[in-house]
Amino acid sequence: MKQIWMILLCLCLLFGCGRTKQPSEQPVTLTLGAFTVPKEVYQKQIIPAFCAHWKQKTGRDVRFEQSYEASGTQSRAIQSGFEADIAALSLEKDIDAIEKAGLITHDWKNNPGEGFVTRSIVVIAYRPGNPKNIKGLEDLAREDIDVIYPSPKTSGGAMWVVNTLYGAGLKIAELKTGHKNSALAKKFLKSVQKRVKVMDKSGRMSVTTFENGIGDALLTYENEALLRQKQGYLFPFMVPEASILIENPVAVIDKNVEKHGNRKAAEAFVDFLYTKESQMAFAEYGFRPIDDTLALKLKETFPRPEILFDIHYLGGWDNIQKILYSNEGIWNEIINELANEN
Amino acid sequence: MKSSTNWPMKTECLRKNVFCLRGLAVGYIGFLILLPIAALGASAFHSGPGAIWRETTLLRSMASLKLTFILALMTVILNIFTGTATAWVLVRYEFPCKKFINGLIDLPFAIPTVVTGIMLVVLYGPNSMIGAVLGRFGLEIIFNQPGIVLALLFVTFPFVIRAVQPVLIEMEKDLEEAAMTLGASPFQIFFKVVLPTLLPAILTGAALSFSRALGEFGSVVIVAGNIPFKTLTAPVYIYGEIESGNLTGATSVSLVLLTLSFSILVLIHFIQRWSRCHETD
Repeated sequence: MKQIWMILLCLCLLFGCGRTKQPSEQPVTLTLGAFTVPKEVYQKQIIPAFCAHWKQKTGRDVRFEQSYEASGTQSRAIQSGFEADIAALSLEKDIDAIEKAGLITHDWKNNPGEGFVTRSIVVIAYRPGNPKNIKGLEDLAREDIDVIYPSPKTSGGAMWVVNTLYGAGLKIAELKTGHKNSALAKKFLKSVQKRVKVMDKSGRMSVTTFENGIGDALLTYENEALLRQKQGYLFPFMVPEASILIENPVAVIDKNVEKHGNRKAAEAFVDFLYTKESQMAFAEYGFRPIDDTLALKLKETFPRPEILFDIHYLGGWDNIQKILYSNEGIWNEIINELANEN
Repeated sequence: MKSSTNWPMKTECLRKNVFCLRGLAVGYIGFLILLPIAALGASAFHSGPGAIWRETTLLRSMASLKLTFILALMTVILNIFTGTATAWVLVRYEFPCKKFINGLIDLPFAIPTVVTGIMLVVLYGPNSMIGAVLGRFGLEIIFNQPGIVLALLFVTFPFVIRAVQPVLIEMEKDLEEAAMTLGASPFQIFFKVVLPTLLPAILTGAALSFSRALGEFGSVVIVAGNIPFKTLTAPVYIYGEIESGNLTGATSVSLVLLTLSFSILVLIHFIQRWSRCHETD
C-alpha cells in the first residue's frame, strides 16, 4: 500500500514538473506533403535531424505533420486545400500544377538543386541467379520474359519507367539511324509493354507483386531496389544500359506558409535538405545525391548507366504529357494496338 | 375522426411532427445521396455532352465497361445458385455450428475490400500452394479474370443469401406437403411451388450483388493485374483517369456505371411491386 502511495506521489511530481515547465514560445508546426517513396528517410533521419538543428539554432521546437501519398494525389490534395507548407513530390509536373493553381508564387527552381532535392534512375530487378539471363532493356521484349511495372495512369514512378523505355528507344534509334526516330522508339516501348503482365497502381505495389512471384523482371526506381536490399531482402537488380535521370522536386508553398506564419522554418527545412548531412541520409536510403562532389564520392554505390538522359531529352514534361500520355498519345495508341493484335 | 374533434390541437401537432419527420428523412437522403450524384453529373456535363460521348466511346473505356459488365454478370449468376442453395441449407437443415456459420456469412461486409484482395493473392497467387498447383495445369487465377470473379464473389456473397433467407423462413412447409399429397413430383414442387415464392427475393439479391460488383474497386485493383483491354475493370480505369488528371474521362465512365446501377435499382423496385401483386392474387 505504501508503495502505491509512493508511485502516485512520484507521478504527481512528474506531471507537476511537466506543467510548471512552460515553453518560452509556442513550437512551430510544419506540414510536409510528400510522395510515399522517401517516407522512411524523412521520418527516421531528416525530420529528427532538422528538429535538433532548428532547436539549436533558434531555441524553439518544431513539430511536423506529415502526409505521404502518391505524387499526383498529393499534388491534387494541396491544390484543393490541403495546407501543406512544403511539398516534396516525385514529378516536376506535380509541383508545376500547384504553381499553376496560384499557391506557389516564388521561383522554386532558384536554389542549389534547381528545385530538385533527390535523384534516381530506373533499374531492372530480376530473379536471384538471373535464370532468364536478362542483360538489359532490350531483353525485356523477349517472348519468354514477363515484365512488371505500375500503370503510368496511376503512378508517377511508372511514368519514369515509360519515359525511360521511350527515351531508350530514341537513343537506340539515334545510334542506328543517326536521328531520334519516334516511330522506332514507339516500337521499342510497345515491344516491352506487350510483355507486361501486371500493372499495379503504385511502384510499391509492383515491388510486392514481383516479390509474390509474378514476372521475371521488374522496372522500378533504383532507390526502391536499394531500400529493399537495405531492409535485408534478396533483391538483385542491374543498372540498364540506358536510363532517364529521375529528379524529385521540393518547394515551399507560399500561400500556406503565409497563412501559417512559418515561412522561415519552412525555408530553413528546404535549405536543410541540401546540406551534406541530409544528402548523405538520402543516399543511405538509396537516392542519388544532387551534389556533384558527393555523387563522385559515391560512384561505387551509384554507377552511371552508359547512356543517361534527362527529361529535356524528351522535350520536357509538357511535351511528354502531350506526345506520350494524352488521349491521342503514344501510350494509348500502343495499348489500343496491342488489344487489336490479341 | 372522432378524436380530431376532441383534441384538434394534438392531432395538428402530430401531423406537424410527421410532416417534419418526413421532411427530415427526405432532406437527409437528398444531402447524403442525391447531392453527391448531382455534383458528379454537373461536373461531367461541365465539359459538355460531346466530351462525355467521346470519352465513353473510347475503345479502352468501352473495353473496361464491357469487362466489368460481363464479370459482374458471371458473379451474379454464380451467386444466384450458390446463394439460394446456401440459404436453403441454413433454413431447412440442422447441423452443428449452424449459428456460427450463419454469422460468417456477413463477414465479407466487415472486411475491408483491400484486405480481401490481399487474402486472395496470398491464397491463390502464383507463390501459394494452390496457385502453384493450378499453375502447373496452366490455370491462372490471380492477375487474371478468374481472380476478379473470385474477388467479386467474395464481396457480394451475403446479398442473395440474406434476401432469400427470411422468405424461406416464412414459407410454410405445408404448401409443399399439400403439393406432395396432391401427387406433385419433387421437380414439380420446386418449380411450381417453391421457386415462384422465392424468385422475387432471389432477383432482389441478384440485383444488389450486380450493383455492388459493378463498382467494386479495393479488392479488384489488387487481384486483377489491371492490363487495359484484358483485366482493367471500369472502377480501376476511372481511378487511373483521375490520377492522370483526366477528370472528364473519369466522370464520363462513372456516369455510365451510375446509370447502370440506377437502372438496376429501378428494376428491383418493379420486382418488388410485381411480387406484392402476386401476394394479393
